[in-house]
Amino acid sequence: MSPFHFDSLTWPWPIAIYLFLAGISAGAICFAVLLKHFKLGRDAYKSGFVQAACLIAPLAVFAGLGILVIDLTKPFDFWKILVFYNPTSVMSVGVAVLMVYQVALFAWLACVFKEPALSWCNGRWPVVEKLFSAIAKHEASITGFLVILALSLGAYTGFLLSALTTYPMLNNPVLPLLFLVSGLSSGAAGTLLGGVLLKGNPDGKEVHFIHNIEIPMILVEIVLIFTFFTGLILTGGQSQVAAFAAIGEGFWGWIFWAGIVVVGLSMPLAFNLFMKASSKRKFSYVAITASCSLIGVLLLRNFILYTGQMTVA
Amino acid sequence: MSNSRRLFLKGACAAAVGASGFTIATAKGTAGSDVEPVCNYALVHDETKCIGCDACSIACREVNQVPEGVSRLEIEREGPFGEYPNQHFRFTRKSCQHCDDTPCVKVCPTGAAYKDPKTGIVSVDEWKCVGCQYCIAACPYQIRFINPVTKAADKCDFCKETRLKEGQLPACVTACPTKALTFGDITDPQSQVVQVLKSAPSYRTKTDLGTRPKLFRIASQSGEIKL
Ligand code: SF4
Ligand code: SF4
Ligand code: SF4
Repeated sequence: MSPFHFDSLTWPWPIAIYLFLAGISAGAICFAVLLKHFKLGRDAYKSGFVQAACLIAPLAVFAGLGILVIDLTKPFDFWKILVFYNPTSVMSVGVAVLMVYQVALFAWLACVFKEPALSWCNGRWPVVEKLFSAIAKHEASITGFLVILALSLGAYTGFLLSALTTYPMLNNPVLPLLFLVSGLSSGAAGTLLGGVLLKGNPDGKEVHFIHNIEIPMILVEIVLIFTFFTGLILTGGQSQVAAFAAIGEGFWGWIFWAGIVVVGLSMPLAFNLFMKASSKRKFSYVAITASCSLIGVLLLRNFILYTGQMTVA
Repeated sequence: MSNSRRLFLKGACAAAVGASGFTIATAKGTAGSDVEPVCNYALVHDETKCIGCDACSIACREVNQVPEGVSRLEIEREGPFGEYPNQHFRFTRKSCQHCDDTPCVKVCPTGAAYKDPKTGIVSVDEWKCVGCQYCIAACPYQIRFINPVTKAADKCDFCKETRLKEGQLPACVTACPTKALTFGDITDPQSQVVQVLKSAPSYRTKTDLGTRPKLFRIASQSGEIKL
C-alpha cells in the first residue's frame, strides 16, 4: 500500500486543494470583514491586508471551483450540478452555498471599494454609480449575510467528508469544526502574507489585530485535533485502526507529526508568542509565520483526505 | 462598532438555526415519505452452494456490456482452509447490495443515483451523472465504479435495463450452474426468495451502518471463524 495509491482511494489530492481553497477564501473574507469593522472603517480599502484578503477570497473560490469541475469525469456536464439539486446531498447544498457566497462576496467588495471605484469612474458611467450606491445602502445586511455564508462554506469543507459513513475516520462530528477553524487560520495567514507582499506595514495595527486572534485560534485547532484522534481511538473498532494507521509510523505519520504538528501549529504559535513579546515585527517574521500556517493547513487537508480513505468501515 | 457586533451575533444565531433546521429536515426527508413500493427486489447468495466458477460474473459482463477493467460483480475467494484432501474455499459475492437506506443516493448532488420507488432497485441515470464520484466514496461496500465508456458511475442494477426489461431473471441468476442465486420480491410471501430465506439462516454485511442491504447471504460452512 503506497501513501498515494490504494484500493479504497476515491478522491485524490485535487479534492484536498479544492477544500483548502474554499477554506482560505472563507477565512480571508472573514478577516477582511473584521479588519474593516473593528480597525479600519471607511479607509479599509487603503490597507494592503484588506486588499490582499479581497483578492484572495474571489480568486481562491474560482480556482477551487475550477479544480472541482476539472476533476469530474464529465467536466462538460458540470452545469447539471447547478440545475439539479438534491437537498440530502452535502455537495449539492455546498454548491448552492458557494453560488450565493460569490454574490454576497462581490456585493461586499463593491461596498468596500466604492470610493476608489467611483473616483476611477469619475462620473463617466452614471449607471455604475447608481449600482454602487444601491449596493452600499445595504452594507450592514450584506456583511452579516457574507459572514454567515463564509462560515457555512468553511464548515462545508468538513461536512463534505464527514457525511461519508464508508470511512470511520472521516465520518466524525469534529471534522467540520476542525476544517472550519483551520480554514479560518489559513485565511488569516493568506491575508498576512498577501498583505506584507502588497507593501502592508508588517508592524501595522492589522497585523497586531490578526495575530491576537491567531494565537487562540491555533490553540483551538490543537484542541480539536486532539479531540478528533482521541475520539477515534476511544471509539475502538475500525475507527481506532484508522487513527493509528494515520498518526502512527510511515509516510503520513511523518506528515502529521513533522508537517502539521511542528511546522503548521507549533512554529506559528512560537513565532506569534515571540512577536508579541518582541517590540517590532519585521516583514520576514510575518511572512515566515504565515507560510508555515499555510503549509500546515494544506498538509492537514491532504493528510485527512488520504488517511481517512485508507480504512473502510 | 456595537452595530457590527450585534450583526455578528445575529449572523451566528441565524447560521446555527439554519444548520440545525437543515439537519432535521434532511433527517426527516430520509426517514419515510417513500412511495409505497409495488415490490422490493432482493437477492440471496447461498455460499454453501457456490463453487466459485465465475459463470455469474462472466454472464453479467456479457449481458450488461460491462467494459474490461471494471466489473459489476466479483466473486471473492478465501482459502484454502483445511488439509488436503478436505480443502475448502469460501466464496463471497461482491456487488451492489441494493440498500434499502441508500448512502449513494443520499449524497448524489444531481439525483443521478436513485432508488426506483416501485422496485427498490438502486440505479444510476447515466445522463444526469457528472462523475463527481461522491457516491463511490459513500458506498460502504465499495462496489461502484466509473464506467470507462460512459464516464458515469456504474454498478449492478439487478439487470433492470437488460434482462428484467424482457421479463427474465437477472443474467447472473440464470447463469449459475448450482442455483446458488435466488432473485425475487421479498414483499411477496409466496416468492422463492422468501422461501429460501425462511429455509436457512442468512446474514448481511455491515448492517451496523444502517444501510439495510438486500443482498442476503447463506454462510458457507468452510472458512474460518473470526472474532
Ligand atoms: S451497495 Fe453501495 S451502491 Fe449499492 S445501494 Fe448500497 S450504497 Fe448504493
Ligand atoms: S458520480 Fe454521478 S451518480 Fe455518483 S454522486 Fe456523482 S453525479 Fe451522482
Ligand atoms: S443482477 Fe445483473 S447486473 Fe447485477 S450482478 Fe447479476 S447480472 Fe450483473
